[in-house]
Amino acid sequence: MISLALIILVSFFFTGIVIRTKSIASGRKGPGIFQPMKDIFRLFKKGAVYSETTSFIFQVAPSIYFASVVMAIMVIPFGQYKGIISFEGDFVFFAYVLAIGKFFSIISALDTGSSFEGMGASREALYSMLAEPAFFLLMGSLALLTGYTSFHEIFMTFHFGSYISYALGVMATFVLVMICMIENSRMPVDDPKTHLELTMIHEVMILDNSGFDLGLILHATNLKFAMYGALIANLYFGDLPLYYSIPIFLVIQTLFAVSVGLLESFTARYRMSHNAQFIFTLSSVSLLIFFGVLMMLGKLI
Amino acid sequence: MDNSQFLILSIWVTVAGWLAIYVTPARFRGNVTGIFVFITAMLTSIPAIHVLTLNKIEFAISGISLIGNIPVRIDSLSAWFILIINLTSLTGVVYGLGYMKPYGDQKSNLTLHWIQYLLFHSSMLWVCMVQNSIVFLIVWELMSLSSLMLVIFDHQNSKTLKAGLNYLVQMHIGVAILTAAFIWVYLSTGSLDFAAIAQFFQTHSNIWLFLLFFIGFGIKAGFIPFHSWLPHAHPAAPSHISGVMSGVIVKVGIYGILRMITFLSTDYLILGELILGLSVLTGLYGIINSAIHRDFKKMLAYCTIENIGIVGIGLGLGLIGLGNGNNIMIILGFGGALLHTLNHSLFKSLLFFSAGSVYQQTHTRDMEKLGGLIHAMPQTAFLFLIGALAIGGLPPFNGFVSEFILYKGMLEGISSSNMYHVILIIISFAGLSIIGGLSILVFTKSFGTIFLGTQRTKLHSEPVEASLSMRLPQYLIIGIMLLIGIFPSFFFSYTSQIVITSFPGLENINSGSLTPFINNLSLVGIYATVFLVLIALVYFTRLLLNKKNLTQTSPTWGCGYVAPRASMQYTSKSYSKTLGKLLGFIVTEKKKYTELESSEIFPEERKHSAYYVDFFENRIIEKITNRLQYFMNLFQFIQNGSTQMYIIYGLFFIVIVFLGTLFNFI
Repeated sequence: MISLALIILVSFFFTGIVIRTKSIASGRKGPGIFQPMKDIFRLFKKGAVYSETTSFIFQVAPSIYFASVVMAIMVIPFGQYKGIISFEGDFVFFAYVLAIGKFFSIISALDTGSSFEGMGASREALYSMLAEPAFFLLMGSLALLTGYTSFHEIFMTFHFGSYISYALGVMATFVLVMICMIENSRMPVDDPKTHLELTMIHEVMILDNSGFDLGLILHATNLKFAMYGALIANLYFGDLPLYYSIPIFLVIQTLFAVSVGLLESFTARYRMSHNAQFIFTLSSVSLLIFFGVLMMLGKLI
Repeated sequence: MDNSQFLILSIWVTVAGWLAIYVTPARFRGNVTGIFVFITAMLTSIPAIHVLTLNKIEFAISGISLIGNIPVRIDSLSAWFILIINLTSLTGVVYGLGYMKPYGDQKSNLTLHWIQYLLFHSSMLWVCMVQNSIVFLIVWELMSLSSLMLVIFDHQNSKTLKAGLNYLVQMHIGVAILTAAFIWVYLSTGSLDFAAIAQFFQTHSNIWLFLLFFIGFGIKAGFIPFHSWLPHAHPAAPSHISGVMSGVIVKVGIYGILRMITFLSTDYLILGELILGLSVLTGLYGIINSAIHRDFKKMLAYCTIENIGIVGIGLGLGLIGLGNGNNIMIILGFGGALLHTLNHSLFKSLLFFSAGSVYQQTHTRDMEKLGGLIHAMPQTAFLFLIGALAIGGLPPFNGFVSEFILYKGMLEGISSSNMYHVILIIISFAGLSIIGGLSILVFTKSFGTIFLGTQRTKLHSEPVEASLSMRLPQYLIIGIMLLIGIFPSFFFSYTSQIVITSFPGLENINSGSLTPFINNLSLVGIYATVFLVLIALVYFTRLLLNKKNLTQTSPTWGCGYVAPRASMQYTSKSYSKTLGKLLGFIVTEKKKYTELESSEIFPEERKHSAYYVDFFENRIIEKITNRLQYFMNLFQFIQNGSTQMYIIYGLFFIVIVFLGTLFNFI
């Protein structure tokens, strides 16, 4: 319950911080950190234009996408407090629930019959497929290390001590950040601010969405950011009491948002044709984590 | 009447069915088949349900002098498969009634088709029951031949015949290997009863005989590299047959493998590692291939191979569990495999049926020619969508349940094995996640290209919604799928019970060690329901808020271009092209075209075609058959077609026999 409330709270200003960081980095003042949220509320009040080609898929897809993200957030624990949903193997549920949202966002893009949106859909499907093994290898290794299979228990028993564990923590953070960037179609993989439809991934998929639906999709992105931020924060909590963990949570989320902003300001997007290789490399980092875990358990050598 | 009488009666019902089909007027023959399939299904399901809840059935059919008594045993494993076969055959025949309507004028062909359907159904059932090698092989052969006849319904088409021939040959290679395996058992134990196989395994090395059985049954099941009949036979067959074949006939192969696993007594680990590794590769290979094909039935056929891989992962995990004495892993592995067998037979037949409705209306299997069918066939689109979600393993449907059990089995395996197994299992873990991700790519592609957007080419006739008798069985299947998705622990408690009774040594496992997992699984079902409620909540909020807002419709935003055409939409080929390029070493693309020559100033119209070839078929099987053909062609001079030569052969033979007897050589 705490994690859900805090993630929703953070989602209100996460993208705002990202945008603000980017503005400052490029020498502008930039909008306030709640501006993206105000935009979304404005969208909720607006009417919508639907394409003549679309069917009921286009009507239900944004709702399912949003619901899937909320459902996934419910699985995330907060330090010693379980998420609303917690059971053994819940990270598999987490990944598959996110996948159902992705499925619908992809077919709703295809529903418009636009060649650009099809292009975005194809890329989204491919890239998120390639990111999948990295997440599963990471969680599998952590499950092996801790002997538990639910987010809550894994994070509760994951302690920093030896050098290897610090290295594992850094690599796990890296993998989670990168998965987050891929899932949200952000910088190294996709540039949300590009002006050419041919080079977009996520943005081009929602070209035809408007009004309430667009608001839902945009806010789902904010929520997803905060959700991955919470996962990263959970790596570092252990079983700290709330008066430590809540500030740490907020600091980590802010740091995450600032670093996303910095990353987007100072790196260029990869060439589209090299994205696949880049994303698949993440799995090798996850494999490194796996071997690190084997070393820690003394099974290797 | 007791159970054995029910079973014997079911044979007579099949025979009576043939006569009944023969004597009824042509237009009722389909319905008569439906009735007889229903009666057979009832007669065999009642004993099967008894077995699942009470004890196993064992009796012998006597009175055949050649073979002696034929032992018929139904344990819970057989019962599970009998129920799956009955369910899919029933939905298949009801769907088939509507699907075969347009072929009503081919009366004799249809009669043969329905007679074969009855034979096919009951031969599959008896494969799961008889436990005498010779009778088993005969029933197995009946099953293969009757399914062949069903596949080549459209026999005027040379491509169908070729696919049928391919199927026939591959099935007989399988039978040959199985026969060799059974003969080996017979020679060393002197018994044809299946119990002798267990005896054999107790005293001999387990690996080689099991591998023979695995290959023999694996050809039916479609493990790589024995899969190459599937992508040919499934598209060629009528859709209800493809649904039933993919839904159950490949599962009979899984039954065979599982049956042999129950007889094993040593070498579990090495066999488990082999099956696990091969299954992950099978799954990946199947789904990669299904991503690139544009013939939607071929896509579904490759997807069957992928799912056989997933079932195989369960078998491999169970075997490794047996080797390590890890009871939970045995139950999760085999139990997950059994549940996935049921799940796959449900959603694959659903997908083949709904794809069949599309084929019936459009007469093409090429996705590239379709598009926008959701407007003309909204219900079929919905049915296909549900099948696609379920096969992608997405909650709240049944595919997620069995994949979740397998994931749990792997996590169990990770924490309790030696390093070698840990590495193998974590790679399978990642492999299964790639399979899941790819199946989303595959089914967004197929659903999007077939049903969404606008029509890409002009069809011969305007498509309309499929008839009620075709849709009804599909809704039934969806109902069962949702039941499994929402009450998974109920179904899993049956499959785990099957595993416990099938393997010696597990009987005294205390049920307490399984309860946490079963409770866990029921949580999955509850959360799946919560998810559905959440979606409904978000959607109704949207409806409420949208009431005040103005909505309007206009053409799709063309990014500034104002004259978009249907042919400009993203195609299925372009959707998966990047993946195809990335994995070009597995899925090779061949192109046929003629280059422009420098002298051609005004080039003429020309054709360009690109298609993908199957790695194993193209690189291995064809190479071998080409060599074989080359070698056989060396003897062509014998068969030269001149009558004089043939007379000389005869004379020559007589002379040899004469001389042989004269000098006591023969």
